[in-house]
Amino acid sequence: MMWFLAQEEAKPVLGLFVEGTIADIIVVLLLGILIWVMVSRARTGRPIPEIKKIAGLEAIDEAIGRATEMGRPVTFIPGILSVSNAQTLAAFGVASHVARQCARYDTRLLVLTCDPLPYAVLEEITRQSYLEEGRPDAFNPDDVRFLSAEQFAFASAVIGVYERERPAANIMIGAFYAESMIFAETASFQGMISIGGTAHTHQLPFFVAACDYALIGEEIYAASAYLSKEPVLYGTVVGQDILKILVWIIILIGGIIATVNPETTFGKLFEF
Amino acid sequence: MRKEGPMIVTVLSSLVVLFSNYFFLGQQWGLTDRLDYWFNISYGIALALGFVNLTIIHWKYVQRRREGWVYSVILLLVMYGYLILGIVQKHTGPTFSWIYDNMMTVLGAAVFSLLAFLISSAAYRAFRIRTKEATILLVCAIFILLARAPIGDAIWSRWSYWGNEWFMGVLNTAGYRGILLGAYVGAFAVALRILLGLERAHLGGTGTQ
Repeated sequence: MMWFLAQEEAKPVLGLFVEGTIADIIVVLLLGILIWVMVSRARTGRPIPEIKKIAGLEAIDEAIGRATEMGRPVTFIPGILSVSNAQTLAAFGVASHVARQCARYDTRLLVLTCDPLPYAVLEEITRQSYLEEGRPDAFNPDDVRFLSAEQFAFASAVIGVYERERPAANIMIGAFYAESMIFAETASFQGMISIGGTAHTHQLPFFVAACDYALIGEEIYAASAYLSKEPVLYGTVVGQDILKILVWIIILIGGIIATVNPETTFGKLFEF
Repeated sequence: MRKEGPMIVTVLSSLVVLFSNYFFLGQQWGLTDRLDYWFNISYGIALALGFVNLTIIHWKYVQRRREGWVYSVILLLVMYGYLILGIVQKHTGPTFSWIYDNMMTVLGAAVFSLLAFLISSAAYRAFRIRTKEATILLVCAIFILLARAPIGDAIWSRWSYWGNEWFMGVLNTAGYRGILLGAYVGAFAVALRILLGLERAHLGGTGTQ
């Protein structure tokens, strides 16, 4: 009871906002404005800046094409986290594209999930993609699989699927942890073409080392817009890039200030 | 309405989360806690769906006597056996906990240990000098290996300082923080695209508006 009495009651900033969120609100508003400007330009047919080519995303169609030629399936793994993670949401956009391409070329697609919520969503995405491609008959609900909610049980199950089904292409986009290396290396042993993408910096080196193509950080968030080839969605990526440039400028200024400060690590390097 | 209904739910939920996180009144009302509660209910329902999916797939394997169908029988027996045990004993029951601690944890650790070998084979492939990038990777790896091992300091007394403090603390940290910043901006953009209804991949289909 005393503890509660000792607590100071939280007060709103400007009588409205939660303390410590003003910077977030500014970023959200700025990004919203940038996206709105770029989307408006795209909608009215005015030119918007080009976005760079992303080799990992260009390779998705190539990987599906290879699987089609070999008559073997494609596997898609949307990470191991649930739908509350932005990386999983980004994976849905890629899954939609992969499912459409697989439906178009009549290639079997195996979607392997570790969490029941993405499983339910991905089943719907895959079904709808096959429907939109005019191939509802080719969709097999058993090919969208919930394997296990336990990380390493899921990893074992995925290795089992690789061994039994012998896919030709392995696409992994989303939030991964230690199992990323198990998937990528096993896929490499089996001669699959592997495309891995995550925003987890602790798993990126594994994907870079073991996959044929790696999508680094923000690239997975731009993936669905990039793959859709829709000018409006391209506009959102351009807005995001402009905000990133602003962030770089702030970092550069901060970096210069920190570097010239003699108390930093850089200053200590010259103390022989 | 098939797409509009879920779209409305998505936008309303996003607005509630924004209101609850940024606005003082929203936080006082505890709206995020309420949403979390609903999320947990949805998760429970989806888990049951996953359970049904596993049962259907493996039951088919058993019926068709597909290669390795015996493993499917084992999976179904273990899955339903553990479920029944969990219902009878609850998750704190002695047998339930013993199976988890002495089987699940050990098996998980066994799979995790595979990483030691997989990292070695992946590193071998990545470090083979074929390109300019692979050469840079190899040089950096040798530099850090020597900084982390005592032999580095034996060669040059400042090696561990340059390797661990400057290389890892400045160059490496700057690199991954750059990636993280880009990723956070990207995540913001995905959230806004969904909030504005521009991206609809989670509703099925093309994912475009």
